[in-house]
Amino acid sequence: MQNNFFEINNVSFVAGGKNKVNNVNLLIENEGEILCLLGPSGIGKTTILRTIAGLEKIKDGQIILKNKILSSKNKHVEPEDRNVALSFQENCLFPHYNVEKNIDLGSNRRTRKKKNINSKDIIKLLNLEKILNKYPHEISAGEAQRASLARSLVSQPDLLLLDEPLSNVDQNFKEEIQVELKQILNNSKITTIIVTHDSYEAFYLGNKCGIILNGQLRQYDDPYNVYHFPNSIEVVNFLNRGILIPAKVTGENSLENEDLGTIKGNFTKHYPKGSDVQLLLQPEDLEHDDKSNLKLEVVDRKFRGTNFIYTLKTNSNLLIPVFVHSHHTHQHEVDEKFGIKRPINIEHIVCF
Amino acid sequence: MRINTWYVSSFLTSLIVAIPIVTVFSSFFEDTTNYFEILKNTFLYEYIFNSLTLLVGVLILTLIIGVGCAYLVSFYDFKGAKFFKWALILSFAVPAYIYAYSLTAFFENYGTLYSILKTIFGDGNYNKQIPKFDGMIGAILSISFSLFGYVYVLTRASFHHQSQNLIELGQNLGFTRQKSFFSIILPSARPAIVAGLALVAMETLSDFGSVSFFGISTLTTGIYDSWISFDDLAFANQLSFYLLIFIFALFYIENISRKKAQYHTPLKGGIKIKKKIKLKGIFSFAAFFICAIVFFVSFAFPVLQMLYWSIIFPKNFIDLNISQLFFNTVVLVFLTSAILLFFSFLSNYGNRVTRSKFLKLLSTFSITGYAIPGVILAVAFITFIAWFDNTIIKFFGLVSIKKIFIGSIIGLVIVYFIRFYSLAFNGIKSGYEKINKSIDESSYLLGYSKVKTFIGIHVPYLRNSVFLIGILISIEVIKELPITLILRPFNFETFATTAYIFASQDLLEAAAVPSLFLILIASSFILTTSRYILKG
Repeated sequence: MQNNFFEINNVSFVAGGKNKVNNVNLLIENEGEILCLLGPSGIGKTTILRTIAGLEKIKDGQIILKNKILSSKNKHVEPEDRNVALSFQENCLFPHYNVEKNIDLGSNRRTRKKKNINSKDIIKLLNLEKILNKYPHEISAGEAQRASLARSLVSQPDLLLLDEPLSNVDQNFKEEIQVELKQILNNSKITTIIVTHDSYEAFYLGNKCGIILNGQLRQYDDPYNVYHFPNSIEVVNFLNRGILIPAKVTGENSLENEDLGTIKGNFTKHYPKGSDVQLLLQPEDLEHDDKSNLKLEVVDRKFRGTNFIYTLKTNSNLLIPVFVHSHHTHQHEVDEKFGIKRPINIEHIVCF
Repeated sequence: MRINTWYVSSFLTSLIVAIPIVTVFSSFFEDTTNYFEILKNTFLYEYIFNSLTLLVGVLILTLIIGVGCAYLVSFYDFKGAKFFKWALILSFAVPAYIYAYSLTAFFENYGTLYSILKTIFGDGNYNKQIPKFDGMIGAILSISFSLFGYVYVLTRASFHHQSQNLIELGQNLGFTRQKSFFSIILPSARPAIVAGLALVAMETLSDFGSVSFFGISTLTTGIYDSWISFDDLAFANQLSFYLLIFIFALFYIENISRKKAQYHTPLKGGIKIKKKIKLKGIFSFAAFFICAIVFFVSFAFPVLQMLYWSIIFPKNFIDLNISQLFFNTVVLVFLTSAILLFFSFLSNYGNRVTRSKFLKLLSTFSITGYAIPGVILAVAFITFIAWFDNTIIKFFGLVSIKKIFIGSIIGLVIVYFIRFYSLAFNGIKSGYEKINKSIDESSYLLGYSKVKTFIGIHVPYLRNSVFLIGILISIEVIKELPITLILRPFNFETFATTAYIFASQDLLEAAAVPSLFLILIASSFILTTSRYILKG
């Protein structure tokens, strides 16, 4: 029998008497892995974390950590006995203690010293040195969130649960923390489940990503596959990193679209010749080429620092996103024509 | 089966609070002596009429004084405004019955005013010119100046929390100051004003000391008389039934208003400091004069009157066993506060941990005690103990329990508990409401058990609330009269009962010393907690 580090077997997650997410099966094989859960607001991501932490009970299925059942229909290990830490999205620092004391309280549960975590390092990493003597009401939401994260980290749990851990952190500081956080989680081998609505954060931090939609875990895979091989139209729409355009399968490696012409590539799934399909077109699938005779009208241009995302309109009024490096020589204004390189070759063709 | 401590303690508390209510309602159908017939044909309507007259008079006066002062100190900057902001709440330290003694002592024939006029203008027949504030007028004035603080505190807190944006919006719309007050400020503070008036109304209907001093027959004095003079407990309880219906209606109004008052408080973004209008010249003097008059009449006047008598009759000061009275008061204050705080903590934490609707219902029921007048509570408690002793105890052939509960500290503290439980429970509850539930959860997730969370997180966080509630309970216990009067052990006196006994024997000058001590102790407690009280 394989010993998985953490398992959720057929659990329905309930909050306030309502079923939020049904029949979830999820597996973390090895200690130290990071799992990110993505989904729209109110879908039940936080409920999942609260249930794993023992703050909510389950009616069916099992939650198992290190071969020990934490929750089942007949068993419920109390939160204080689980060695699972949860860092809440809102400020939940103890209001009558300063930041330093709050972080110190995290070490209360430290029963094993095997994880090499030093609270001073964590404080430095999260840039908390200047606010150690301040009380929670004297600090900003972002600082409170970082302090809460520090408290959870120093508690050195078997399983760390982070609910939108960087949602209140300033954008310029966010990426820096993401890098350091990933490093510290990897070094200390703390198995972590992160809930976030930021897909870039999830793709960067997670070894695995789970997409929760319409009360179900719709896809559970590594970040690359979730992005490039979404398993349903709902996942595509949720990630919002491409559009679906109508096409007809014309061969083993080709399809035809009314506006773009022939598109070639490797199908991820077999479709009989002549099938009408919805093709996933992501911003990086099309290449810019001013010399091309395939010209589309620019309706919008978003500058993202390293790149531009052009939104192009086809003859049949489809709006197609195209990624272009920001140093490209010829920038196009709205209403101008934008050339698309032909023939169009896509690495992997995902259709529905 | 595992015994749930939270359920048991909440259930016990509710059971104790239920005693007077159930007793009053069940004895409604009991036989009474023919005193009832006599009373029904003669005095009952007078009782009801007097109670209503008193109520209307007090409500009008407290509304004008309370809202007027709150408006002045909240919206205007004038000389003394900061002082009056907290000084006006000192009126809480003067119980209505002591105010009544002062009023009588000052205006009576050959009283203090007479002495002042004689000193200034020489001998003369001033008694005819001096107005007499006795009877209904005296009672209305005494109760109003003692209770207007409720309306003042709640209205001021509401004005304080009113958004500056709202007021500026009125200015932008071109409203005059008068129109802004009636169209924006007053409607927004209405729930707080109604809550304050409902509290005043409950206290007025419960008042025993001042109405009995002025010899006004109200439902409350009727209850006391039917029990003391006619030994008719059943009828006392039937009168209580009528009074309780009145009071529960007010309790309901107060509760609804309080909930609404919360909606008028901005939840996020804190309070933008209100720009006060700086008054100058005659307007500044007028505002100062109004507040000074209210402060003087409500607090300085009774204090000075009692001080005057204490000085000119020093024998009363020497004769009084102050240390014994002080000790008795401290014992009652300490026991009552400790028990109330313990059970309030237990119930509140139980509600928080279990999230049980039934437990919540029990808790809501158990706070109704504060609406019930002290006289009713005391009489109903005696009725219940007598019934229990004559039936249950007798049936099992056990030793009588009457002596344990009637005329004992235990009985006294139990009835105080019923009367003041809501104060302690709501105080702890409002402290708990400031602690986000996720803070408890964080504590559990850091490995703290429920008990450790309670001791390590809640108790340190709530220590200010506990201190404040302890002080508020102390003020109430020190001032409390009817329960202490009816249930105290033989020869056990407090400052309140001593003052009442002297006053009822027409020895007002002797009542001055205990009254003065009572006011001073209560004032010092109020000053310690004024910052919290002003938050409403």
